[in-house]
Amino acid sequence: MRPTTLLLLCLLFVANTAHALDKAQADRLVIEADSAYAAGEHAHALALYDSVNTAFTSSGLLYNMGNCHYRMGDVAQAILHYERALRLAPGDVDVLANLELARQQVKDRVASMPTFTLGSWWARFLGGSDPDHWARRSLWACALLFLSLSGLLFVHHRTGRRVLLTLVALTFTGTLVSTALAYTRQRDLARQDEAIIMTPRVDVRSTPDAKGVVLFILHKGTKVTVLQEVNGWQEIELANGAVGWTPVGTSTVI
Amino acid sequence: MRTTATIGLLLVLTFGGISRLSAQEITFQASVDRNTIAVGEHVKLSITLTNARGSFGAPDLGGMMVVQGPFDLPNMVIINGQMRGSLTRTWLLTATRPGRYTIGPAQAKVGGGTIQTEPIVVEVTKGNATRPGDPQAALGQQRDPNLFTTISLSRNKGYVGEQVIATYMLYSRYANLQSVPKEMPKISNAWVEEVDLGEPRWEDKLETINGVQYRVAVLRKQVLFPQRSGTLRIEPFVQTCVIDRSFFNPGRNVEVRSNAVEYTVLDLPPGAPTDFNGAVGELEMTVTAARTQVEVDGSVDISVRFTGRTNLKLLEAPVLELPGDLEVYDPKVVDRISVNAGGMGGSREFQYLIIPRHDGTFELPAIQVSYFDTKTGTYRTLSSEPITLEVAPGDGSASAPVPQRALQSDVQLLGTDIRHIRTGDLQLREQGKELFGSWAWTAGMAAPALGYVLLLGWHRRRTKAAQDVVGTRRKQADKVAQRHLALARQALDRNERDTFYNALSRALNGYLGDKFGLGPAESTRENIQERLSGLPDGTALAQRYSALITACDLARFAPIEDTPRGTLYQQAAALIGTIEQHFRA
Repeated sequence: MRPTTLLLLCLLFVANTAHALDKAQADRLVIEADSAYAAGEHAHALALYDSVNTAFTSSGLLYNMGNCHYRMGDVAQAILHYERALRLAPGDVDVLANLELARQQVKDRVASMPTFTLGSWWARFLGGSDPDHWARRSLWACALLFLSLSGLLFVHHRTGRRVLLTLVALTFTGTLVSTALAYTRQRDLARQDEAIIMTPRVDVRSTPDAKGVVLFILHKGTKVTVLQEVNGWQEIELANGAVGWTPVGTSTVI
Repeated sequence: MRTTATIGLLLVLTFGGISRLSAQEITFQASVDRNTIAVGEHVKLSITLTNARGSFGAPDLGGMMVVQGPFDLPNMVIINGQMRGSLTRTWLLTATRPGRYTIGPAQAKVGGGTIQTEPIVVEVTKGNATRPGDPQAALGQQRDPNLFTTISLSRNKGYVGEQVIATYMLYSRYANLQSVPKEMPKISNAWVEEVDLGEPRWEDKLETINGVQYRVAVLRKQVLFPQRSGTLRIEPFVQTCVIDRSFFNPGRNVEVRSNAVEYTVLDLPPGAPTDFNGAVGELEMTVTAARTQVEVDGSVDISVRFTGRTNLKLLEAPVLELPGDLEVYDPKVVDRISVNAGGMGGSREFQYLIIPRHDGTFELPAIQVSYFDTKTGTYRTLSSEPITLEVAPGDGSASAPVPQRALQSDVQLLGTDIRHIRTGDLQLREQGKELFGSWAWTAGMAAPALGYVLLLGWHRRRTKAAQDVVGTRRKQADKVAQRHLALARQALDRNERDTFYNALSRALNGYLGDKFGLGPAESTRENIQERLSGLPDGTALAQRYSALITACDLARFAPIEDTPRGTLYQQAAALIGTIEQHFRA
């Protein structure tokens, strides 16, 4: 009687914990996964990271998962995870370096349209240290704005008022800018229009049906932009501007 | 052999009495010492002719072989003046195969007639071979018991690349034999190393095969390393031999053809390590550094030495994975390889010259080489210890003859690989919980604004109140009056007359001055009375006020107290209360 009860309790406990992974457990799993990765057991490490990723996420976690995939030879999955990591931490140098290496192993070389970029520094600035960076900044700026406005009510000294007025102007701009950036960030994170080709090869056709003329062939690991979806076909665009239709399911959204 | 064995022999009895001898009985008998022998054992065949002279040869031996003989044993006995003579001829015979052998009758010509012996049956049983020996030799013996050649292998099967020794032998029973090779087999699919034997010569010891003794010469020895799996076949070799050569006889040419041998070559098992260097057999590796402390531009000799029994000549130099800033030259190969009867063995040494071009501590990684161990049938990995090289900044003396190089060189990119995973705090966040747009964020943005609005409202009210002095005074009037009244009450209790009246009049005048917004100078009795009269029911209030002030003034300035002080106090308090109620309404 007693052992069965114990067993039941244990099962309940396991079920409970498996259901809701708390932060401490996640951290422990990550440490275990790190050592598995260092020991060369990449598949094991990936499984552990994956279980953490059910409840938690971070750029570092996705980056590590990408590394596992890369080591296991799945370049497309590696690229997918690096891209996801970049979403969370734009301009991260480690992720960019590994993504570049992984991209070199993709069969398709797509010359991207020349765009004006300020490099990863700017991307890092826009992205902030984490997805909540600008939202937090906007809160601080807002609080400071009203604090300095309140200060104006009580300070009558000339120099003091001048300082406070400058502060009000600065924090007002700061609030607007950081809110705008937080909004952009939020929109970027919610983007669903970029995808990585996951099937070994896919014919890109001129129309959304199987009879369409094959315009070009894409291979695993290539990044595309999804423009629209019609009847199980999606219109994709390459970085070089080429557009065509592929069946839904050949790519995975970043 | 038969020709030599069959010797026509004339028995001449030198004694004269032939006629007398003829009187004796003539006998011709053949006998063996035993009728049953084992293979390899000898049987002695004796044929005796008594009291006659005649010639006889060896009988038909029925397949048995002569090991030794014939030996003649003449015997002469004189008995009673009568001479008896006999001749016994003996052979040692043997058989290579078990069976039933019949030694045929021997014939002797005596006088004009012929006499013969009885045939003898010899049983040869399997028995123990005298020497397990070389099966090829036994087979060769069956081809020609007197002269044959063999090829034998040290093993019947082995792995690709595993060495096997082929021996070419000549077996002969002739006293005089000259032999030259005529045809040597070509061996394909194998790497062949000849063992240097010098001039072929007879071995010191005779070899006995199935009881027959042979002179043996090793003509040739080869170490073979099969290169392909399957069957390796060595075709027979042909040797031209001159036999029976003597001063008078030019001899006879005989071509002797050996057996062919087949060798089964097994593939190496799958799962060869990536650093497998192709060596099959036994191998050891020693890695030594001549020194581990050196100055910049000095030189370090690293020796990688392989010893063992395998095809050392095919060993290639292991690639040293050196850290940058170390220059390494192509290794010098020093061989101490011997090919002898036991196969190929010895050592091959690779000497690397390393010149550090920068100071620091360098770790030369362990060298790993795998080979196939034929003893266990598995791949074995040899691994050396890593060598730590301490390179001290030189004083330039080491590189004195070397022209000055540029001090800087580009960092060399030796390979590319992804960066390592991020360890430590990954800053995990719960999925899908962004701050922006959440309730917390909205509240956080709204809270300061709300707080500011509240603060602003409070501030406005305060400022307005500060600007409205009259209103404030009016509001404060009651409090001030009450304070003065309290003072008056104290004075009343203590029976202090002046203080009481002062406080009472100040309470009244101050209160009303405040209420009507009058300055200290304007707060005269007349002004106050006038304002009071302006109020509804003002006349009565003005009269009450006037009466109180008059009483106070009288008491203060003249010693006249019409009304008791307690009554005055109560009247004043009541008046203030009434006016206050009036203003509140």
